[in-house]
Parts: sequence; structure tokens; C-alpha cells
Amino acid sequence: MQHTATISRMKAAGAPPRLSGFAQWADRHFKWLLVAPAVLLILALSVYPLLFSLVVSFINYDFQVPGHAFVGLKNFERVVFDPVARWSLLLTAWLSGISVAIEFVLGLLVALTMVRNFPGRGVIMSILIVPLFISPVIVGQAWTLLLQRPFGPTNYILTQLLGQEVTIGWMTESPWLYASLIIADVWQWTPFMFVILLAGLTAVPPNLYEAAELDGVNAWQAFWAITLPHLAPMMLLALTFRLLDAIRMFDTIFIMTGGGPGTRTYTASYYLYTVGFTQFHLSQATAGSWLFLIFTALVVMLLVRRLLKTEPV
Amino acid sequence: MNDHDKRDFQAGLEAEVDAFMRGETTRRTFITRFGQMTGMLAASGPILGMMTDWALAQQKLELADAASPLGQAQAAAMKASMEGPADGSAFRAAEAAKAHSGVTLNMTYEAGLQALDPRNFSGPMWEQLTGMKSNVVELSNPDQYSKAVAEHIAGSGAYDVLDISPAWTPSLADGGVIAPLDDYIAKYMNPADLEDYHPLYKALPTYKGKIWGFFDDGDIFALYYRKDIFEDPKMVEAYQAKFNAKLAPPKTWEEYAQIAQFITDQMAPNVYGAGHFRKAGSPGNQFDFLQQYRANGGKLFGDDMKAGLVSDAGVKTLQNMIAANAASIPGNNELDAVSLWAAFLTGKVAMIYSWPPSGRMAANYSQSATAINFIPQSQIAGKVGYAVVPGNPEHATGYNKALSADSANPEAAYLFMQWACSPPVSLARCMLPYALRDPYRISHFKSELYGALFPSAKEYLSNLNNSANVGLLDPIMPGAQDYFLSIDRMCTAVWAGADPKASLETAAAEWNETTDRLGVDSQKAFYTEFLKLPGATADNTVEKLGMAVTL
Repeated sequence: MQHTATISRMKAAGAPPRLSGFAQWADRHFKWLLVAPAVLLILALSVYPLLFSLVVSFINYDFQVPGHAFVGLKNFERVVFDPVARWSLLLTAWLSGISVAIEFVLGLLVALTMVRNFPGRGVIMSILIVPLFISPVIVGQAWTLLLQRPFGPTNYILTQLLGQEVTIGWMTESPWLYASLIIADVWQWTPFMFVILLAGLTAVPPNLYEAAELDGVNAWQAFWAITLPHLAPMMLLALTFRLLDAIRMFDTIFIMTGGGPGTRTYTASYYLYTVGFTQFHLSQATAGSWLFLIFTALVVMLLVRRLLKTEPV
Repeated sequence: MNDHDKRDFQAGLEAEVDAFMRGETTRRTFITRFGQMTGMLAASGPILGMMTDWALAQQKLELADAASPLGQAQAAAMKASMEGPADGSAFRAAEAAKAHSGVTLNMTYEAGLQALDPRNFSGPMWEQLTGMKSNVVELSNPDQYSKAVAEHIAGSGAYDVLDISPAWTPSLADGGVIAPLDDYIAKYMNPADLEDYHPLYKALPTYKGKIWGFFDDGDIFALYYRKDIFEDPKMVEAYQAKFNAKLAPPKTWEEYAQIAQFITDQMAPNVYGAGHFRKAGSPGNQFDFLQQYRANGGKLFGDDMKAGLVSDAGVKTLQNMIAANAASIPGNNELDAVSLWAAFLTGKVAMIYSWPPSGRMAANYSQSATAINFIPQSQIAGKVGYAVVPGNPEHATGYNKALSADSANPEAAYLFMQWACSPPVSLARCMLPYALRDPYRISHFKSELYGALFPSAKEYLSNLNNSANVGLLDPIMPGAQDYFLSIDRMCTAVWAGADPKASLETAAAEWNETTDRLGVDSQKAFYTEFLKLPGATADNTVEKLGMAVTL
């Protein structure tokens, strides 16, 4: 009966329109049509450039040397035996490690402070996360204005505070130039750590703390026994995300030190930029990018593996 | 099919039929609409592009007050383009270009102030004269090279007119990125207008016997100093007592460091003897080293094309520069060109050497344009003297206008270039307060209108001309960027405490590697060509070749 009813309703609606050949084909391959645009986009914007860059790293693709001859591993060799490249890789690891460590500690302290409700908390939180929304180039420029002699006020303020003349070259003298870069990075990215860790802290069940309080546990013990284990996955997540970003440090260096003095503030990104876009040795820069990608991938693999292990089953 | 399956099938069928009858979206309507949307997206790109072109092309011609020197120069440029003289390059270009009315020229310009000239003045004026539109593509300085090459490789024909550094001419010419102009010049240009170029600049676009562009920006370094300090009787007396010499603009680099130290000792912290743009990546280091090194007798390359940096001249140059740094304003090694201008304009520094806009800013002329209001108002207007840099000043890069070999409208593009660089039009462009184009034609240096721009403008022009007479050119050869980068790294490492000799050795090793990479024989051929140019070395300046221009 039901079949008959349905058929009569369809008859009443009139015969369905006759499908063209294309419409029939589209009907049959509907699922492929749906994913095709995304696949094409990925092929065009990710896979093709990636494959092309792989080709470029084995040929001559230098704007100053005509032709695209196959050069084997020469481009990789140039990067591996370039002392500037090796230094930039070391500095990248060192700068990103220290910056992220400081950001983590500060972010955690701020998150622990802000997890409780108090008057003005919303306003303070809004102010705290403002640096996250500022372009790194602007951050670099702002810190340059603060630190650059003779116009920046930093040395003047320090002189007033310390009672003796301070003449630090914040962007030209070791170790101050590294401190400047770390300060700028920490200022911008500590809020990122803070936001993620605060989210983690608010997810810790409050009844655990109440039970601990009844058991006479002090604040320090509660932190070690309750907060830290619950927060660990978020901590690792925050560290992973931030570390992946920090190893690409470029903008602040470009603005604040220009890679100098000499090549002392060349990070891997700055090195690749200089080789590719100041010297126009694109194939060498591409080969260096692949090497850098391999190093990065190793770090990512370790961190992600660790991250997955912490996930509850 | 069991009962359960039948019920499911029936329910699904009913749901589909109901949806169909309610007119809801089906696969076919989805595909149709998706196709329409994709089509619209595809079409929106060109439509947006056309709208952008239209918006940019509609910029109004900005003219200065007709009674002002700039206004008069602009009116003269317009008149020369519309009424002649009939054999003038501006008139002939404008007349011939009318046949190309409606064509849009894509031209690269350095982003920022440089691009304001074609946006606000020369582009709209050219459109008014010929009906040709202009699309200004703003690029950073390195991109003006790399994008031009990349577009050439892609064969896109994206650009018609290229603004390039003269140092790039050999690479771009040999790479087929730019086209020679000789045939067009023979057809359209008044030869006298080529002779109007200062001899230092005239040969810059010439390579392998052909002309690959028009020189368009006289970037010669000059010394700008505080006359009020140098003429202060107390300072003059103290200097005489200490050094048994008259306090005057320095003639040697040792004297320069000595005077800078003397002023610092006498006047700091109110005023310091000197300031330099020494920040890594700001091009001050490379230009300063090259001018002092060659003035000290240093050779860039030996006969075997090995770097000549590790020499007595190299060590002496770095030591002189260190002495000057020590006598300079605190933070000297952190300054870029703009910060140095700020220090000079606010009266904190007694001597600087830099590009020609320094003089226009010091007189407060440039700051009359709102576009350049990030530069502080000059507190030293009327107190600034001009002198030639000790030894030989560097012609620090400059610009050539070149014709893209891939241009779809090469003749139209050429005609714009000829018109923009013609004597009356280029004068008006160099006089724009916001533009960074600096005088380069003999007629510019002699111009009464330019001389009336600010009270000391005639002295300023005279000093620029005299500087060009003894000026040195940046090396014009492939790999110039690499050589420059090595110098910058070397200098900034030395400023941070590295040993000068060891740093020279590092830089020399980098130079040799660059030369090897590009081919020793090929580089030698380029270098030999470069050495033929007036101003290639301190021994063959325009003056020493007997071609000096006297005003």
C-alpha cells in the first residue's frame, strides 16, 4: 500500500525531468565531484610547490647563473659546509629553547594567578592577551624604538634606577642582543602559553582540591599531586605549538638586528631568507629549506609522539 | 530485501520525494549552484583587477602652487610635452605615444615614497597627455630584481617598465630580462638630451656597447655639516690651539675622525661630532667601506679575480671607520638611514654623509609633504653647509629605468621612459618634496627653479655636481649583492669587536666563493667592463678623465 501511495504521489508531481548525459555522469560521480575542488587546491597549492621545490634543490636555479643544469647534491653540500648555516641552526635551537622555556614558566605563573576570580580579572586578562594580536613586525619595531640608542628610553630609565650611567648596545652587543630578541619574543608569546594553560587549569575538577584540603594537603603538594598531572597534556600541547612557531623566528630579527652584528643573529629562517632573497641563490635556499624541514620534522615527531602518549585511553 | 530493509528504503524514498516536492536542494541543484559559484569566483578576479586598475588610474594629477618653483617646473614640463620644442624628447615622446592611447603600462617602483611620483605626478600627467594609463607595482628593493627575473622566467609579461639598480644591468641584459633601447633612441630621442647627463651617470645603463635604460636617480653621497659649529669662534680657536689647523670640512678620513672626536669632546652630550648608518642590513656599511677603501688605494679584485680586501688599504679603512664610530653619537652602530637623519635634523650630530635627500630635509623642504612627515622637522635649517666627502664619495646605487623584454607594448613603454627621464619632466620629478629621486642631469644642477627651492639650494646643487665629478660607482657586475652582503657582515662584526684583519679574511673568502660560483672568467669579463666606466676607481673619476662638469 505504501509503495502504491508513494508512486501515485510521484505521478501526481509529474514525471521527473529527463537528465542530460552530463547530469547522469555527475550523478554517478557525485562524491568525487564534491572532493575534487579540495583535492585540486591541495595539489596546486601544496603538492606541486613541494615537488617543484624538491626539483629545484637538485638543479641550478640561481637568478645570476643562466640555465637550470642538474647539480646533484651540490646545493645541499653548500648549505652543510656553510658555517653560517650551521651557526644559524644552533642559534635557532638555542633561542627558541630559551624563549619557550621562559614563556612557559611565566605563562604558568600568570595562569595560576588568574585562575581564581577577583575584581578586574576580565580587564586584566584582555590586556594580557593583546600582544598575541600584534604582528611580529610591529612587535620588533616597538622593541627597537624602546631599546635603540640614542632615542630609546631603556638606557635612560636604567640609568635613573641604578644611579649610574647605563650604555648598553641592546641590538649590537653580546649578550644583550640575544636578551633583546628573547624579551621581544617572550613579551609577545607568553600570553599564548597563559591562555592554553589557563584553559587546562579551569578543567581540573575542583572537588579534587576540596578533598585535598580536607586531607590537610598544602598548596605546594596540591600543585604537584593534582594540578601538574592534570595539566601535563595541556602543557605539552602548549610547548609543542609554541616550539614549532619559535623555530621559525624571523620577523623580530629582521627588524631589530638585521641578522647582525656579522651573522650572530642569523636564525635558520633568516639564513634561508638571506640566501634566497638577498643573494638570489634560490636552489641553495630551497635545499636548505628541505634540510631544515627534516630537522623540524624530527622535533615534531618526538613531541607529537609524546603528546599522544599522554592522551587518556 | 527483508522487511526491515524495505521499511528503511521506503522511509528514505519518502523523505527524498518529500524534499523534492518541497523544492529542497538536490544533488543536481547543488552541482548547478556550485558551478555557478565557481564561475562567479573565477570571473570576480579579473573584475576586481579591472576595478583596481580603474581606481588607481583615476588618481588626480597633484600639482604644486603655480607660483612656487616646483609649480613652475611642473608647468614647464607640461608645456614642453604639449608645445615643444618640437625636437625635445618630452614632446616627441608625448606625440608618438598618442597612438597608444588606452594602453596600460605596468611599472615597478620601490615601495613607499619612490612610488608616489608615478602615482601622484608623472603617471597622471602622462595619462592626461597621451591617454595611456599606468599601473604602479610597488616592490621592495630586492624584489625589484627577483620579481622581474621570476616574471621573465614565467613569461608573464607582467611588467613593461622596470626600475632597476645599475648594478643589475649585466645580469638582466644577459638574462634577456631587459631589452636594449638603441633603435628606439635613434627613432625618437633628441641626442642632445643624452649629452645632458652628468658624465658619472651617462654610461651607467651602457653594457656591451648597447644602452639598456635611462639613468634616473643621482644617489651620490655628500657631506652635510653644521656651519654654525664649524664657524663658532670658540670652536675654531680651540681646534687651532689643539691641532694647529683651521676647523673646516675634512679632506681626509683621518681628519674626519679627528674633527668628529674634537666636536664630541667639546659639545657632547648636546652635540656629537658625527653619525653614520651602521646597522646591519642598512646599506651604510657597504657604501662607506667601498668609498673609503678605494680612496685609500684599495683594489676590489686582483688580476686573478681573487678578492683584494686583505690589504693595508682594507685594514686602514676599517681602523678609520672604527675611530669615526668612537667619535660618534652613542648608538651609532644601531642607526639606519632614517634614524641618522632624525639625529642630524634634531641637532644632535654635527656631520653626516648620506644620500642627497639629506640636504632637502635639512632645509625643511621635504617635510612640506605630508607623505614624509615621519621625518622630524629640521631644527638646523639655514645652518647646514655642504662639502664633498673626503677622498671620493660613493654613488650609492641609484636607479635606471629599463624596458622589460617581455612587454606587450614595448614602444609605448619606451616612450614613457623617454618622457619621464627627459630634461624638463625629470627636473620636475626630482623637485617633488616627497620623491627620493635626486638630480642627475647637468640641466638639473644648473636649474634656476631647483636653485630657488630653498635658500641654500644652489650651493646644494653645486656640491652634488662636484661630488659626482669625483664620485665612485658601486661595482656593476653579477654577484654584487653577495659582495655587498659580505662587506656588511664584515663591518658589523668589526663594530661588535671582531678583529679587522680576520674579518677582512672572512669577507675575502666569501667574495672568492661568490666569484667561483659565478665563474672566474665570466666575472673577470664583467669586472673588466666595469673598470672602463668613469668612476670605477679613484684613478679614473670623471675629474681625472678630464670630463668634470663646472657650473
